[in-house]
Amino acid sequence: MDEIVVESPGQGDNIPPTEQMLGLEPTESARSMFRRGLEVFLENRLAVVAFGVLVFYVLMCFFGPLLYHGNTSHVQMDEITLPPGPSHPLGTDQNGVDELGKLMKAGQISLEIGIASGVLASVIGMLYGAIAGYVGGWVDSIMMRTIDALLSIPLIFALIYLASTLGRTKTVFIMVIALTSWFSLTRLTRGDTLTIKVRDYVAACRMMGGRSPRIIFRHILPNTIGTTIVNTSLSIANSVFALSVLSYIGLGLQAPNDDWGGMFANGSSYLDQNYWWMIYPPGVSIVLIIISCNFIGDALRDAFETRLQKR
Amino acid sequence: MTTYLIRRFFQSIVTLFIVSIATFGMMHLMPNGVVRGMLGQRATPQTIAELTHRLGLDQPLYVQYWRWLDRLVVHFDLGTSYQKSQTVNALLKEDMGQSMYIVGLALFFTIVISVPVGVLQATRRNSVTDYTITTFSFIGYAIPVFFLGVVLRDLFQVQFHLIPIAKQIDSFHAAFSQPDQMILPVATLVISGVAGYSRYMRSSMLDEITQDYVRTAIAKGATKRRVLYRHVLRNAMIPMITLVGLSLPTLVGGALLVEQIFNIQGIGVLTINAALSSDFVIVLGTTMLTAIVTILGSLVADISYAALDPRVRLT
Amino acid sequence: MALLEVENLHTQIKLKKSTVQAVDGISFTVEAGETIGIVGESGSGKTMTAMSIMRLLPNGGSSPEGSIFLDGRDLLQLDDEQMAKVRGNDVGMIFQDPMTSLNPTMTIGKQIAESVRIHRGAGKQEGLDRAVEVLSLVGMPSPQQRARDYPHQLSGGMRQRAMIAMALANEPKLLIADEPTTALDVTVQKQILELIDGLRERLGMAVILVTHDLGVIAGRADRVNVMYAGRIVENTTTEMLYANPRHPYTEALFDSLPERGADSGTRLYSIPGMPPDLTKPPAACRFAARCRYAQDDCRAQDPPYRVDEVGHEFACFHPVGAALRSGEEVEVTLSEVTSTEELPTPELGEVLLEVTDLVKDYPITKGFLRRQIGSVSAVAGVSFSIRKGETVGLVGESGCGKTTVAKLIVGLEDTTAGAMSLEGADLAALKSGERRKKSRDVQLMFQDSYAAMDPRMRVRTVVREPLDIQKVGDKESREARIKELFEQVGLPASALERYPHEFSGGQRQRVGFARALAPAPKLIVADEPVSALDVSIQSQVLNLMKDLQAEHGLSYLFISHDLSVVRYVSDRIGVMYLGKLVEIGPAEAVYSKPIHHYTRGLLDTIPVADPEVEKAKASSGIVGELPSAINPPSGCRFRTRCPAAQDICAQTEPPLVPYGTDGHLAACHFPIWE
Repeated sequence: MDEIVVESPGQGDNIPPTEQMLGLEPTESARSMFRRGLEVFLENRLAVVAFGVLVFYVLMCFFGPLLYHGNTSHVQMDEITLPPGPSHPLGTDQNGVDELGKLMKAGQISLEIGIASGVLASVIGMLYGAIAGYVGGWVDSIMMRTIDALLSIPLIFALIYLASTLGRTKTVFIMVIALTSWFSLTRLTRGDTLTIKVRDYVAACRMMGGRSPRIIFRHILPNTIGTTIVNTSLSIANSVFALSVLSYIGLGLQAPNDDWGGMFANGSSYLDQNYWWMIYPPGVSIVLIIISCNFIGDALRDAFETRLQKR
Repeated sequence: MTTYLIRRFFQSIVTLFIVSIATFGMMHLMPNGVVRGMLGQRATPQTIAELTHRLGLDQPLYVQYWRWLDRLVVHFDLGTSYQKSQTVNALLKEDMGQSMYIVGLALFFTIVISVPVGVLQATRRNSVTDYTITTFSFIGYAIPVFFLGVVLRDLFQVQFHLIPIAKQIDSFHAAFSQPDQMILPVATLVISGVAGYSRYMRSSMLDEITQDYVRTAIAKGATKRRVLYRHVLRNAMIPMITLVGLSLPTLVGGALLVEQIFNIQGIGVLTINAALSSDFVIVLGTTMLTAIVTILGSLVADISYAALDPRVRLT
Repeated sequence: MALLEVENLHTQIKLKKSTVQAVDGISFTVEAGETIGIVGESGSGKTMTAMSIMRLLPNGGSSPEGSIFLDGRDLLQLDDEQMAKVRGNDVGMIFQDPMTSLNPTMTIGKQIAESVRIHRGAGKQEGLDRAVEVLSLVGMPSPQQRARDYPHQLSGGMRQRAMIAMALANEPKLLIADEPTTALDVTVQKQILELIDGLRERLGMAVILVTHDLGVIAGRADRVNVMYAGRIVENTTTEMLYANPRHPYTEALFDSLPERGADSGTRLYSIPGMPPDLTKPPAACRFAARCRYAQDDCRAQDPPYRVDEVGHEFACFHPVGAALRSGEEVEVTLSEVTSTEELPTPELGEVLLEVTDLVKDYPITKGFLRRQIGSVSAVAGVSFSIRKGETVGLVGESGCGKTTVAKLIVGLEDTTAGAMSLEGADLAALKSGERRKKSRDVQLMFQDSYAAMDPRMRVRTVVREPLDIQKVGDKESREARIKELFEQVGLPASALERYPHEFSGGQRQRVGFARALAPAPKLIVADEPVSALDVSIQSQVLNLMKDLQAEHGLSYLFISHDLSVVRYVSDRIGVMYLGKLVEIGPAEAVYSKPIHHYTRGLLDTIPVADPEVEKAKASSGIVGELPSAINPPSGCRFRTRCPAAQDICAQTEPPLVPYGTDGHLAACHFPIWE
């Protein structure tokens, strides 16, 4: 062991101390936060699997149709309600349409709308919450009472009403789902903003003469972005779910632009005939996407939290 | 406590007020407004103009809002469905009983099951039991209610015929007298409810178990059981009350889907059918009603919270 | 046979990837009726020792090995049920933070009664009766009513009394007090320590007092065990330990105490480096790496315990101090600078900051409409000045307004009234843009540097931020300045790339100091800058602050509740009480010849690391608790707790008037002045 001679600092012209003498582990030397976060994420095997599932679905739905050409467009009366077999891996529906091809097409709709409205909801929620939290006072009170009111309307009722009055197009669905699902993120971001606002490092910045824009963009937003990213993933899961609910009760995009929810609804009306291949593939797809997003969200949360701690 | 109650009560009123504005706003989102909504497809420009005037819809918005609010608050009149030529109130009265019965049963069983499950998980933290339950609750949490309902129906009614398929349940009496028909709808709601609640209960228990006062209780000589039931459980249950208040909208929404799956003529099916036939007055009425129930529910939850937690009660 | 005999105790704490040897083979005994002190810095294993006796280890704590004999029975052999019968019955325990250590949803009466009901099988009423009885035993006013209160309704001191009542409800033979007063104010600390002492005598129990505070232990313990890195390094009677420490660690600790430095006027000794990593403890003397006397054998072998002729135990090959009644010559080879160097004395210039009649009120609102129903008088007409190169210390209990004064001066709060003139410009009257520019001249050093740094910024950015905000120089010059600052505060430039959480407490305080220095301010307001640090680390930061003051001609406003620290660093000391400055004057004069009764009481209250001084203290210090600042007492605000208070004190507020010619001022109708 090396002899460590460290004099009490500031005692004249010493050799400056090295990191090792200060007990800072050299191996850990200043890794970037991103890498550390990534490591934590990758350590969570469930999240890695979930991420794989998500990638698989995206590839299957958007690039699958380039390789697999099932009949998804016309009625084929001689091939109706076939169980899975060599020519139709997932069987056919009551019109003789290939279920696998349909699953891919419907998946595009589900994922497109889910991701778009999930991201949109996150952005709205983050901005609204950050503004309410930072401004504070009566503005905050009014903004948050509004959220309370909107939260007390059951999501499905609001969705049903808006979807049935505004018409059923992709854009409307993206907007409607986003507009009805940003409330919870708003509360989280506002909570974060409120706690960060009174942190000493914000006080330090003000003390040094820092103005509001610096405080917001350099300190508050970077410290809340973790919450937003985590919630975007949960928000996507929610949007996929919301869309499938609308489709399930018959208020989704009209056939042939079915999403997974619509496919499932169509299949479940044949439940008594035991056409299980028309029900379970879209149902399981929805569940897998939702579970994956949840796992990824959890792992992201861990990654954002633990990278700030000594490991 | 009094100050808290008064403040909380006024908050609820403000919330209700905002809900009413939101609902009123949604009413005007209807294609061509309320009148078209009332007259539906049969509307001609002439009848529209006539009815518009008769209903006072040519008046300024705030006057309209005031009248609407007056009808709503004083007479609790949610309007009339022109397609069914019945008042929304009457329709709600018919369908409310069975819906509330299902929601009530589901809420009761959800709480009764998830509290012990959460406690079990927290006390056996990181054991096989804990992991197994966590896995199930993760799936239960992610599985959409309608998928779960269909799976249960498939298993119990189609594949194994354990529960007979009955005709539509369209009254509270029908629901109450056929308990076997209630099993699957309530089970559907309970399974997805327990998934969320037990996870919350587990983390609430774990939060409390790591508190310093638990160490004090052990240092006093209390046994594990005593610490768990006299100290931790009670304190861990308090936040559950808030959760119940907050999750009411989800539960009510779930009930809507369950009614659709299991062929129960309740508020949910009423709403869905109204939406499909563009009978917007009904949709608006049920939305407003569920919002009011939810607000009252969370008010009750907050008051119970205050009654149970001295830190709130005594400030 | 001793009451408690701990032999070769080992306790491990499992972490995610490693195992900490928190307690590594310690042995000690406690005789019936005596007070044993266990003293050590954070991470020394002192709390884990206490927890091991009670078997209250945190998650990951494996069951302790060795033996713990209580009255001849080995506690480690008991099963959980038997152990539960020991806890709270034979051994009582009190914890550091009485707020979190009490169940918030249960009345304190019930919580105390629970202890009685468990062990004595008492009924509900019987338990409550006993609770009231012990509450009055611990000096709780109107115990009948207080028993029905919830913890959050009581003050900190009252809560700790309730905790003590709970621990003593069954009259245990041994009381373990783990940092019982660390979370409390000094005046309350004294009351609680005295209470424990008195109860020990009355009930004839033994006490294990676990603390980091050498002052607390000096006046209370019969014997002391000094712990370092999971081991007991020295064990002897309190008198002998303080008079003649034999282990170099103990000696170094004493040398780090600011009161020693203030007495001799020399710089403080500071222990270099950091304690060893207990996941892989060195197989040699654990202190060797930081020891100024370490030889080759220290780094090669583990020193065994030795007992000298007077029963003084220590684990060291080359003990310091004199071996009493022994012919053995102590040979000490100094490889280090000793602490005999004179302190640099800065030259005092003209007045830099002149604070006049500073007032700060916080409004209180109530009810649904949040009407304003009153105000908290946080700072009520405080005036003082700071000269160039001078350090003014500000002391007082928490809630006295000293931190508010700091916030007002650095501009984190707006003044209600009064002026703060910095070289002629009144900071309180400046427009916000001008004020921002002026903030370059006045910087704040926070108590908790970790909280004061954005966790997502590298310390390079953290230290550069004031320069960026004030637009000082160009990019290169800022970078150069940061490097220079890091060198000045004794940190390697390579550490600039790290994040705040990678540093230890003392290092972070250096980073915080570097940031405060960055814009080359004239005045640094330091709010409790060393309160969160261990003694040995504390002295490093204090020395650094003194050195850089001399180098740059800085002025400090040094705020602390710790009078000995303030005395060490300050040229002048101001004493605050409930928003008022009650006394101000040269540090030595205030310390040795206080005029105000509050200052006198504070000096008597603060524990000094010297058993002789502690034993000689006659007065019981300041009685009672700090009144509310919402309706402060009329006239002199201290009159409710003052031993000399008379009618006039309630009617007229005493002005701050000079005594003598050295600028010693006090506000008292009946000063201690002959």
